[in-house]
Amino acid sequence: MRSNSVGWLFLAPTLLILFIFGVVPFLYVLVIGFTQWNSFAANPDMQFAGVENFRRLVFDDQFLYSLWLTLKFAFFAVVSEIVLGYFLAQLFMRDFPGKGFFRTIHTLPLVIAPIAVGATWRLLTVPGLGPLPYYLNRWFGYDFNISRYIDQAFFTTVVMDVWHWTPLVTLTLLAALSSLPKEPFEQAQIDGANRFQIFWHITLPLLKPAILATVFIRMMDALRTVDEVWMLTGGGPGAATRYIGLHIWRVVFPKTDYGYGSAMSLITLYLTIVMCWMLYAGLVARRELKRVD
Amino acid sequence: MAEDSEQPVVERRGFLPIETNAFDRVFIAVLLFVALHLFWMRLVESILPLGVATVLSLILGAIIVARG
Repeated sequence: MRSNSVGWLFLAPTLLILFIFGVVPFLYVLVIGFTQWNSFAANPDMQFAGVENFRRLVFDDQFLYSLWLTLKFAFFAVVSEIVLGYFLAQLFMRDFPGKGFFRTIHTLPLVIAPIAVGATWRLLTVPGLGPLPYYLNRWFGYDFNISRYIDQAFFTTVVMDVWHWTPLVTLTLLAALSSLPKEPFEQAQIDGANRFQIFWHITLPLLKPAILATVFIRMMDALRTVDEVWMLTGGGPGAATRYIGLHIWRVVFPKTDYGYGSAMSLITLYLTIVMCWMLYAGLVARRELKRVD
Repeated sequence: MAEDSEQPVVERRGFLPIETNAFDRVFIAVLLFVALHLFWMRLVESILPLGVATVLSLILGAIIVARG
């Protein structure tokens, strides 16, 4: 009993912080999600509204469009980051001249604040000033204008996210690749397996936990992206890059519709949990995790 | 001493396609509860009231917790 008490005592500060900064805000948002609370409304006081906010949002075309855009953004960004990150991790497993320098340069985007990343890409791509539209037009005659063309704006936000977060994926997969045992690879080579067979039957299954963890982290980040996109496109042109985080921000702050914004946040959290859980349940056989007591 | 107080996680195979423990089944039931209500509000509420969805999802949740 005494050892349990000491254990709980050591855990207490962490649990307290988690409770204050994690559980309490969640419960607060949960409560507000069921209220009508808008500073600009005829009655600005908080009133219980039942499921009215949720009923409103399942018919809200702007919210559903933002949600669809966010899912599309998360899909393209995460898949690109995982594929590119894997190839870069494989590259860093080999020796080549300037490897240390290249690895340092490659990791630099990770330490830049998202708002600064957005500002940098804005300066790169802003029509009439940025070098990217200028040279694309001069060399290829390509009209690159993220303020006008919605597809270009969308894919520029994806490329920016890939540029910013691929190093994280690379580092995670590099750590995982470095820790793989050598024996299965040597045995496969002796058995005459080709490179694809080794990748498909040995590397990929062994990397599955690391890939899954990285996909979780990146997917959750991609679904709540705000600052980079806000700085780059401001959600435009029109609503072409108004991802769910930006949409919620617009509802909660400029429109001060706290109740409806909280309901949207809760549904976004719900969808994030559902997607992560489905991915987890689909990719990880539960018997692998079964405890051996 | 600490080992004695640990409760083993009991996982089992019910009608769900994965092995689940009690927490998993409650979690799945809650997810379905929310999903069914959102679906109902969007597509069915004009015909049947939301209370029907609540009753249905509670029954479904109980089945999942008991047999899932």
